[in-house]
Amino acid sequence: MTNDHLKKLLVYCMLCCTQKIIVQGAQTFQTKVALLRHVEPNNPKCFAEGIRDLTCFWEEDEERAGSAKQYSFIYTYQNENSSECNVTALPAAGGRILYFCRLSQTQLFVPLDIQVFRDGLLIHNRRLHIELFFLLDPPVNLTVKRTEKQGQLKASWMPPPLKYLDDSMMYEVSYVIAGTQMGQVEEVRASSEVILLGLQPGAKYSVRIRVKLDGVSYNGYWSAWTDPVLMATLPGDLDPLIVSLTLIISLILTLLSLTVLLSHRRFLLNKIWPVIPNPESKFQGLFTVYGGDFEEWLGYSAGGLCLRPAYFYSEELPAPLEVLSEVSLDLPSSPLPPKAKQAPGEDEKLKRIDSLMERWRETPHEHWLMDQLRVLHQLPGPQCSQLESQDAYVTLNAQNHSGEEPLDDILEETLPLQALFASGRTCSESHSDLGSLQQSSGSGRLSTQSSFEYPNHTWPPKGPGYTYMAVADSGVSMDYSPMSSSRIDYMGKGVIYTNEYRNEIPAHRQPIPFAF
Amino acid sequence: MSLTAPRYSGLLVVLLMVLQWAGQGIPSPVRPICDLRVLDHFIMEARDTETALRGCKAGCGVTGTFVVPLTNVDFLVWETKDIWEQAVEVQSGLSLLGQALGAVGESLSNAVMQSLITNNKSNIRSLGQVLHSLHIKRTPPQVDATIMKVSSLSELLSVHINFLRGKVRLLLKNAPVCQQSSP
Repeated sequence: MTNDHLKKLLVYCMLCCTQKIIVQGAQTFQTKVALLRHVEPNNPKCFAEGIRDLTCFWEEDEERAGSAKQYSFIYTYQNENSSECNVTALPAAGGRILYFCRLSQTQLFVPLDIQVFRDGLLIHNRRLHIELFFLLDPPVNLTVKRTEKQGQLKASWMPPPLKYLDDSMMYEVSYVIAGTQMGQVEEVRASSEVILLGLQPGAKYSVRIRVKLDGVSYNGYWSAWTDPVLMATLPGDLDPLIVSLTLIISLILTLLSLTVLLSHRRFLLNKIWPVIPNPESKFQGLFTVYGGDFEEWLGYSAGGLCLRPAYFYSEELPAPLEVLSEVSLDLPSSPLPPKAKQAPGEDEKLKRIDSLMERWRETPHEHWLMDQLRVLHQLPGPQCSQLESQDAYVTLNAQNHSGEEPLDDILEETLPLQALFASGRTCSESHSDLGSLQQSSGSGRLSTQSSFEYPNHTWPPKGPGYTYMAVADSGVSMDYSPMSSSRIDYMGKGVIYTNEYRNEIPAHRQPIPFAF
Repeated sequence: MSLTAPRYSGLLVVLLMVLQWAGQGIPSPVRPICDLRVLDHFIMEARDTETALRGCKAGCGVTGTFVVPLTNVDFLVWETKDIWEQAVEVQSGLSLLGQALGAVGESLSNAVMQSLITNNKSNIRSLGQVLHSLHIKRTPPQVDATIMKVSSLSELLSVHINFLRGKVRLLLKNAPVCQQSSP
């Protein structure tokens, strides 16, 4: 049983090998047929793969083609009788039929006459010398190695194993830079190795080779190319001259750069590290005498300073509003003018205010309030302490009022700087009205005026253009009610804007601190 | 007895002189010529002659029948022959070709062709010496089945070329002396 198994296995292996050889042979045959189809114009196209064989083929369209039996292949050597070869048919590309005949025993160096008949009719006739129609297999075992020198590769290969023909073979070596079409072809005769010169250092080359007989005693067609072999050349060494020149040029450029940098170092330092401006020269004695205490410096230099620090603060600090008296008002039932932000719409609000203004023109309570205010100001003593604090009267300026102007929010209300530091001052500071500064709001249309009033000074009405406001403190908010001692009709052309005042400093409106 | 010694010495001197003269005339062994480029050169010149003949009208006026060797090589048959059989076949064929080319040269009117034919004939003699250098014994030409007859100069030159490319080259390539000297 073991022997039987071994025999079966051996037969199976032989069959597999044979099948592999047949498949490879078929592929080689198809390759050679494709090659000759392009280079040989005559029919039948014949080629010899060795010194003992000859294969001839021709193609016909499927429409005109017949069966293989319809064809006769007759060949005749000089001074000999004719012989016939069996024709075989195979399907070919493009809907054609390939007919071929293979001779397994041939004679070289003698003329051979070939005739092809179809149904007795001569279709092809040709005379040739078989030794001039070799189509060899490509060389095998192509090897590419680096040499010790730059820009060189050594290629070696095994020639086709054909007796008597090895010294008649010539080779074409194609070497291109991998991935490109730039390359060269070199011819080699009667040798199975070559050194490729003039290659780029550090480049990868693709080398392939094909073979042909030299045409002296034997001739034929170029074989198919071998599969390409990739090999990179040695990387190029740095030329000492180039290295030295590069170093010298780098040194020169470095010296030039340093020279330029040193000559412009002050300018560059100022650009990179700019000097922080020191305003000490503008504030004489601020640091040397008062150690940076700006308050003290202001106190001592108030008389001589022309600069009022009013512009240091973009925002006025809120000043508490002292309620002078709580008076129950028996006022006509006239509603207070609506606040701007509670009005449902701009047009409606304007109309309402206008209507109110009309009513107020002749209301008697304005006179009553004015009298009340006068009485309050005429009271001695406590008023001083009341007034010495950060009291502020908000007046409305009659300038730039027109009915066409839209309402704008008052962006800022500024106070004079004295208002910020008014705590602790006494009434002995009997200066005239110092801080009567007219500050403009952002809109420029409404302005607030604040002033300190001192004792023994009546509070004269400011004139026809000023409006006084009654403040009603509900404990939550304080409402300003505009009043005017003058003719309202002058004011009535414009719009009186009421602003809700809260006793708090908005978070974003902090005074700008000084920092040195 | 005194007369016998001078006679023998004289003969001895003459003998030595004759031997010395004979030694100068005997050729030294010839180095084998194994480089096939020589043969390739002869083949190229034969092909040039065939090409020049195409420009010659009516075969340059050459008529007659020429006996030439067969040129066909069946490797299965050729390899069954030993080197001496191959050498005999090549030498007889070269001899026949030399005779045929000599007869053609005498009847040619074209000076160029005459020069070429003469050159080819000289090449055939050179090949004989090449074969001699390979220590292949010369044999007289034989008339056997290895010959044929041609009736034109073009056929003669074609036979000439095929013979050189085939049998002569195969013989020179496979000469035992050259097989021993090659690496």
